[in-house]
Amino acid sequence: MQSRKKIFGKMRNFVIGTLVGSIVLSISGLTIAQEKPFSGKKITVAVLASGPKGPISAPLYYWRDKWEERTGAKLEIAEVPFGEMHEKIMTDLITGAGVYDGFITFSGWYGDYIAGDYIVPIEKYYNDPRFPKWSKETVIPALRDKHTWKDVWYGVPNDSDAQILYYVRSALTNPAYQAQFKEKYDYDLPVPPRTWQEVRDVAEFFNGWDWNGDGEPEYGIVAPLKVGEQAVHHFLSMAASFSVLPGPKIDKYHNTYYFDPETMEPLINQSGNIKALETMIELLKFGPPGMKTWSLGAGFDFFVRGKAALTWSWGDIGSLAQEEKSKIKGDCGCAPMPGSMYIWDREHQKSVHKYNFAGNTVGGSWHGVISRLSENPEVVYDLYAFQASKPINMWNMMTGYTGIDFGRTFHFLPPYGPASLDEFIKFGWDATDIQEYGEAYYENYTAPVMFEYLRILGTDEYWSILDIHLSEAYVGRETPKEALDRVYDEWVKTTKSLGKAQQLKLYQESIGYKK
Amino acid sequence: MIFNREKNVKFVFLLPAVIFVLTLVIFPLVYSLRLSFCLARFGRNPIFIGLENYIDLLKDYKFWGTLKITLIFVLLTVSIEFFLGLTLALLFNREIRGRRYFRALLTLPMFATPVAIGYLGMTIFYEEAGPINNILALIGGPQKVPWLSNPTLAFASITLLDIWQWTPFCFVILLAGLQALPEQVYEAASLDGASGVQSLRYIILPLLGPVIVIVLLLRTVEAFKVFDIPFSLTGGGPGRATEFYSLFTYRTGLKYFNFGYASSLAYILLAIVILIITLFLKRVREVFE
Amino acid sequence: MGNVFVLLGVLIAVIWAFSPFYWAIISSFKLPEDTFTISYIPFFQFKPTLQNWINEINFRGREIWNGIKNSIIVSISASLLAIFLGTMAGYALARFNFQKMKNKDIAVFFLSQRILPPVVMVIPFFLIMKSLKLLDTRLALILINTVFSLPFAVLIMRSIFKELPAELEEAALVDGCSRYSAFLRVLLPLAIPGLVATGMICFAFTWNEFLFALVLTYKKAVTMPIVIAGTAHTRGVDFWYVATRSLFAIIPPTVIAIALQKFIVRGLTFGAVKG
Repeated sequence: MQSRKKIFGKMRNFVIGTLVGSIVLSISGLTIAQEKPFSGKKITVAVLASGPKGPISAPLYYWRDKWEERTGAKLEIAEVPFGEMHEKIMTDLITGAGVYDGFITFSGWYGDYIAGDYIVPIEKYYNDPRFPKWSKETVIPALRDKHTWKDVWYGVPNDSDAQILYYVRSALTNPAYQAQFKEKYDYDLPVPPRTWQEVRDVAEFFNGWDWNGDGEPEYGIVAPLKVGEQAVHHFLSMAASFSVLPGPKIDKYHNTYYFDPETMEPLINQSGNIKALETMIELLKFGPPGMKTWSLGAGFDFFVRGKAALTWSWGDIGSLAQEEKSKIKGDCGCAPMPGSMYIWDREHQKSVHKYNFAGNTVGGSWHGVISRLSENPEVVYDLYAFQASKPINMWNMMTGYTGIDFGRTFHFLPPYGPASLDEFIKFGWDATDIQEYGEAYYENYTAPVMFEYLRILGTDEYWSILDIHLSEAYVGRETPKEALDRVYDEWVKTTKSLGKAQQLKLYQESIGYKK
Repeated sequence: MIFNREKNVKFVFLLPAVIFVLTLVIFPLVYSLRLSFCLARFGRNPIFIGLENYIDLLKDYKFWGTLKITLIFVLLTVSIEFFLGLTLALLFNREIRGRRYFRALLTLPMFATPVAIGYLGMTIFYEEAGPINNILALIGGPQKVPWLSNPTLAFASITLLDIWQWTPFCFVILLAGLQALPEQVYEAASLDGASGVQSLRYIILPLLGPVIVIVLLLRTVEAFKVFDIPFSLTGGGPGRATEFYSLFTYRTGLKYFNFGYASSLAYILLAIVILIITLFLKRVREVFE
Repeated sequence: MGNVFVLLGVLIAVIWAFSPFYWAIISSFKLPEDTFTISYIPFFQFKPTLQNWINEINFRGREIWNGIKNSIIVSISASLLAIFLGTMAGYALARFNFQKMKNKDIAVFFLSQRILPPVVMVIPFFLIMKSLKLLDTRLALILINTVFSLPFAVLIMRSIFKELPAELEEAALVDGCSRYSAFLRVLLPLAIPGLVATGMICFAFTWNEFLFALVLTYKKAVTMPIVIAGTAHTRGVDFWYVATRSLFAIIPPTVIAIALQKFIVRGLTFGAVKG
């Protein structure tokens, strides 16, 4: 009896257990697997340290609760001081520590990641319906290679970087100033300036007198050129038009900037770059002398306070100009980077004097990649995909302090894209400003010639060498030719120490060179 | 007991510190010394290349450039900090009302985080409208002095901040030394009718000798390693005008991930500093023996 | 006459030492957009605002508090450990003769730990701490800062002991004390003010240490200099937060410095004098 009861009890327990179990399973299948797929998982993502209200890190903080609620996972935001971010990430990867599951990275570090096989492709997650949906098609073709390697996607889009020209609209369109300009230079004041020669004249014209009526003299142009920070990109974005020779495809002589894609010989001391550096040094005369040692923020601040007529930089200025402290809201003119009337043709060893313009994608285009050492790559991907999805990315871009810049296809206003002007106005943008801004970026990103993006092993070292010698030239310690010749020598040395064959291979792959 | 034998006692006192240091640094020391003979880039396996790093280094104009400015910096800061510290110590070596509070204020700069000092320096030396240029203009001095964008002045600005931060170090130790001198020394000095300068030169400074050596020694070593302030204030620029030795080594090691070359730079510096200590600070010998 | 000059000199020195702090204080009460405008006197020249402090406490309060806590724990522990080891070693170098090794060479050995640029030690230290599972712990920072503070402790304590007459211990030894109790009971009490002064200097260096803290910590053990470095980002430096954070960071050492002030100079009074 007892034993029968026991058996029965066991059976009953089994039946009930199975029933309950299957119900629980099916419910959990609905709620946990679909709504909270990563319960109990924890990921650590490195991002540059600027806090919950600062550029690039702000969106992670802002959306953290929503994302955690949706996935059930926990996100640890590991802030790393901007200046030391690369060494911190590389130390983690080189030593195999694996503290970070992923990093919001600068695009220039891809060469380091690929050479060391430190990051994983996202292709297998991209079409998986478990993850938030975003579309590769919304990444502008010019920016796609920031996220890919040999057409395989490693990064999930987030920020979009490129430099454009900014000008104080009311100053350049003032009829009285236009008349004075014409008298002095014998041509119409160009609004906006389309070549660096014109930029030079406009900068000279607006330098050293009070053209906005605030009782203090203003400057013609401003560019923050502190060594060891982001000055090098300000040179590259301008020098591109002096050096990148258009052609039907990427070959030995055409569409390249940094190296000869057949021999890995640096092209940095070619005539076009020397000309560009000379132009740059000329422009320095028409700006505040201190800008040679200003970091980026000081330059933004100066222009947004209406202290200079021209500047060129990233999209941040466009959104900073809309903020309360700005003196140029509604007055922030935008245009693509100017072109050059001088371009060096290496094939025929001669200069060509016709208009040349190369669009650029300089800068971080900060976005997420997944560490090879991560145990939860799919959770990291989910976070990135969540941030990349249209509504969230749109909010990030519109909100000035996030530092997420304009550049996905859905950011553009008609006729270039589907965005709505009212939305922008609701977020505090001036209508003319945003229209010009969008147009300038559209022209930049769709330029027929694009300035390549350096993504080989040790990219930071190559840039840093260039940066230091540019700065030497700005303060007159080296002539432009001396400076760039030294860069050439040091680049050759760097390439040798990193292994020329591998560097050449990485370089060819990164720019899509095919024999 | 083995610990109580007279000849062992000294080791009981000395060894804990030596063992502590050795356990922690022996691996890093051997590791980096070995790397200094290798080509070691990023995460790759180091390749032994003998003395090539050291030979390259001697041929590297950047090495000589950074060594030169670092030596000038050490010479300038150590002598000025020492001189100011001594002057202050002499000033404070008498009864002044509220001396204790003034002294506390004067030691504060030592505790200011150098990275922050560098960043604050960017606003203090701001050329368009910084406080220094503003005050200079108010008292009729030069306008818009290019503190940071002129290579020589950028060097001077960093020197100035370093002097600001580390003069208190010299001051505190030298004042202690002065106050330790027995009263009789000062009495004898005044009895002899020696002038202030003479008694300083012939009586006080010689007696202060050992303290002076300690101060100079510690400051020299620290000045060679100046890093945080140029790192945050100028980034080594403009150009390479303020790229001090430590900054150069840091850049080579952790920015370029060229560990072999950075290690050889470090060991050359070690050799240079030890050479300077033994050659130029001859009195170190007396203090140490 | 002379006193006027002395007072003037002291005044200039105090103003010189304090003015950057004053600049930090007024910067912390200015709106970000006023950072680059000239004004020195709140209420008269600009309207002071608490906004920066409020933002810092609201958005970064946890990090800053965590950073201060870590900095205090690491600095005090490392200083104590350095004083403990440094006092013993300093005593040994002051009183005994290490014939073969030479006292000078031993002192240079300690000093050389401070000469070598830390950059080359960072990666191997990282590897050690990783294998000991000590990454992102305060213990790792304490151990390393102790190594780099020891030279100060050894050298300064050594001269302090040299200053004290050897007869003191000899008398105690004659009375039947062991070396250890002579050291502990007779010599050490006299050296306590010197210990404090040495501790302050070790504290200052640990407090300001940047590179090791940067590489070896991630979140839990982050110290104040790293929190301050976080004010520089892609859009440049947030000078107003540099000001608030460096003021936060200066408070604990100031309190300690003032509390221990009377020990410092009196302590060093014993030290370093007759080599």
